[in-house]
Amino acid sequence: MDVVLRKQVFESQEFKVDNDIILEFKNVTKKFPGVVALNDVSFKIRRGEIHGICGENGAGKSTLMKILSGVYPHDTYDGTVIFNGEELHLGDGAIKEAGNKGIAIVYQELTLVPTMSVGENVFLGREPLERGAIKWNKLYADTREILEKYRLDVSPQVMIKNLGVGKMQMVEIAKALSEKALILILDEPTSALSETEIDKLMDILGILKSNGITCIYITHKLEELFRVTDKVTVMRDGKEIITEETKKLSQEKLVSYMVGREMKERFPKATRSPGEVIFRVENLQALDPNEATRKVLNGVTFDVRKGEILGIAGLMGAGRTELVMTLFGEYGKIIDGKILLKDKEIKPANARQAINAGLSLVPEDRKGMGLILIQSILKNISLPNLDQFASFFRIDADAELKASLLQSKSLTIKTPSLEAAVETLSGGNQQKVVISKWLLSKPIVLIMDDPTRGIDVGAKYEIYKLMNELAEQGVAIIMISSDLEEVLGMSDRIMVMCRGHSTATLPVNEATVERVMALATGMSS
Amino acid sequence: MDSFNQNTQNKTSLKSELFQVLRLNVQTYTILLALIGIWGIFFFTTGGTYLAPQNISNLFRQMSVTGFLAAGMVLVIVTGNIDLSVGKLAGYVSVVAAYLQANIWFKYLPDQPVLSMVLTVIISLLVGSAFGALQGYIIAYQRVPSFIVTLGGLWLFNGLILLRTGGKTIPANQPWFSDIAQGYVPVTWGWIFGLVAIGFLFWNMFRNRQNKLKHGFELRSIYIDLLATGFSALMLLVYIYNVNSYKGIQNPVLLLAITAMIMIYLSNNTRFGRYSYAIGGNREAARLSGVSIPSMVFKIFTLMGFLAGVGGVVLASYVGYGTTAAGQGYELDAIASCILGGTSTLGGVGTIQGAMIGALIIASLSTGLQMMNVAPAWQYVLKAIVLVLAVLADVYFKKNR
Repeated sequence: MDVVLRKQVFESQEFKVDNDIILEFKNVTKKFPGVVALNDVSFKIRRGEIHGICGENGAGKSTLMKILSGVYPHDTYDGTVIFNGEELHLGDGAIKEAGNKGIAIVYQELTLVPTMSVGENVFLGREPLERGAIKWNKLYADTREILEKYRLDVSPQVMIKNLGVGKMQMVEIAKALSEKALILILDEPTSALSETEIDKLMDILGILKSNGITCIYITHKLEELFRVTDKVTVMRDGKEIITEETKKLSQEKLVSYMVGREMKERFPKATRSPGEVIFRVENLQALDPNEATRKVLNGVTFDVRKGEILGIAGLMGAGRTELVMTLFGEYGKIIDGKILLKDKEIKPANARQAINAGLSLVPEDRKGMGLILIQSILKNISLPNLDQFASFFRIDADAELKASLLQSKSLTIKTPSLEAAVETLSGGNQQKVVISKWLLSKPIVLIMDDPTRGIDVGAKYEIYKLMNELAEQGVAIIMISSDLEEVLGMSDRIMVMCRGHSTATLPVNEATVERVMALATGMSS
Repeated sequence: MDSFNQNTQNKTSLKSELFQVLRLNVQTYTILLALIGIWGIFFFTTGGTYLAPQNISNLFRQMSVTGFLAAGMVLVIVTGNIDLSVGKLAGYVSVVAAYLQANIWFKYLPDQPVLSMVLTVIISLLVGSAFGALQGYIIAYQRVPSFIVTLGGLWLFNGLILLRTGGKTIPANQPWFSDIAQGYVPVTWGWIFGLVAIGFLFWNMFRNRQNKLKHGFELRSIYIDLLATGFSALMLLVYIYNVNSYKGIQNPVLLLAITAMIMIYLSNNTRFGRYSYAIGGNREAARLSGVSIPSMVFKIFTLMGFLAGVGGVVLASYVGYGTTAAGQGYELDAIASCILGGTSTLGGVGTIQGAMIGALIIASLSTGLQMMNVAPAWQYVLKAIVLVLAVLADVYFKKNR
């Protein structure tokens, strides 16, 4: 009797249905052995809003999303999650369940099948059937309907592998929305997008909002938060630090919430006096290795000085990554032009020759191209440098350890031991391993392709500082970045690329966002 | 060198540390336990004769041919490839060896058993290596998937065997040549080898600890190291005592042990090994780190061919014949040995040691079931169950780690 009464009181108080709130976290705590990933997190998300969640890597954003998606079932964490007026009870293997309830997630890594069409991907696993056979016409018609409703500019019958990253993301969104989603979660959606594609995504978010869909927008990029979100929740060390209306926040304030300290400068100050030109590329032209009729590089000319940071700006598809991979001997077939290192022409035919000549490349895709995740930090660092320690019969384990240890310490990789597998490290520390391995080869020219992609603000700052130090030591650095602010903030000069050729090289004091964008889009300036 | 020095050990009790070591190496211990379990079962079902010296002797000799193939197969699978042709390649080499012995040297080098044997071995190894290199070339430089190329190889070698033998059996039981796989290491030498090996095990253990200490790596309790090394040493002594009370260590087993040691060294302590695991771990990262993938794959298949050659010589010498069925199905035994021993079909992971234990398990099953007079049909069924169960257990333990 007493119990029943109390329960009723409890329910009437706690579960008052508030129609304005679509999602509420109440004292959610999630522990892993040795780590508290979420620590008493409570906040609410209003219906129809775009709600940003930001925080450094390891702040607990992903864990929160994994609770929503059912990766972590409801009995593996403490606290309650209330979704659309009722408590969220996702059982084991409930990923599909979450979708049925109206929670749709677009992950950072795209999850499409490249050899299938847009429509097939959108309805993958939920194909409309008639006596066991797929109703193709309905499938494509339904896909078209969804695409048109949200003004996603993709054709339902194109194969995914023929689309750019921006369009692929649209397909992901369409796929997520095709299940009558009430709430759409976007996890770092712009990490691989160009400026124009980001603009397009922002437009799409506006359309979704006007259709009454609530969005959770997780990102590192603060500008985007200010562009689209109504509210922002900042997380740090598994705790919710603040939830505030976006217009009441400033960038500086947001960063200080994220890192827990005031950070006045996004980029560390450095005054450099670059030396003589050490690396020069003249009118480089190269063909696509997979499609011999297509020119990927169509006249690239630039030079880098000793102790200088040269930024390369350009839109997605401008050929920036193709350029550096070609310089490294691992991409295009060079048909014209010259690469000169210390005034001597080099023709690297593969990575080994490029490394031996004095080039190093921190590749774009850290996990896919930079690291062997299952192997130890030690083995990763020494891999390109084994010639330094090895004779034909033997690797000098002592020398290998000594050199790797010195290198990893100077970059302050946070790990209990060099024997730890790289996959156990955070993104920022993984990137430091990649940089370590490429510094150990003592490069004359260090090429960094999007070196701070997907890592948190604190780790970014450390990498910027490191770049400044290296430049001071006389390394010539070539940095590609999709983040224009980063290019402007870090470079001494900026080379802009557009459709496979270099349009201009500007000293940083003459470069503005507008001017660089104009050059990158091919408008004359 | 001491910021990494978290060597405080936190005074973890020996028991919990032992437990942790077991947990981290669950794969190694599962497979060892499986082996001991299998031996235990057969010990009782055969009334003890299973572990009698003569049978132990047989068992190890039985695993030797598969062992050579598995030793090479590990690196093939680690780099993300497969070799379906090794069984028939070994078979073809055994036929070539028998043909040379019975038909060529008999005619041109009569009464020269030593020279004949040496020439046969050299030519056989060359034949194995050459076919390995040919397949490796097509796989590495012409970029035809290894599955296809070696499936072609399987059929090719089968054809070559039939052509060479003409469907008949060729005798290869000449003195000296027979001794390669049928001979024994003298008892005294067996003990000497054993003691040297044990000395090496302990020396290696202390050197490793010294190195770790020097660089401030975490050191596990010396008792655990002593226990692990002591266990290996004890097993070795028991084995030598056991086979010495029959006729001694068999030549092919000693040869396999040496081969395995070389392969272990190669995979751990040389660029060749490091690059192999790098390719399997992440092909792109390896390529951008300056690893030449084609040249590595070519070398690995050539080495595989060489080891198939060794297997072929041992096979011919042991069986005493070159037959049309030589090497039938050995490739699958070799692959299964690797998988049982923890080699990942996804590449990048696998050890020679594991594959050797895997080969031993397969040989143990076959001999045991034969001793119990289990019908061949049921032998297959039971082998299937053990293979899948072992991998299933491994998957299960990894998930619940």
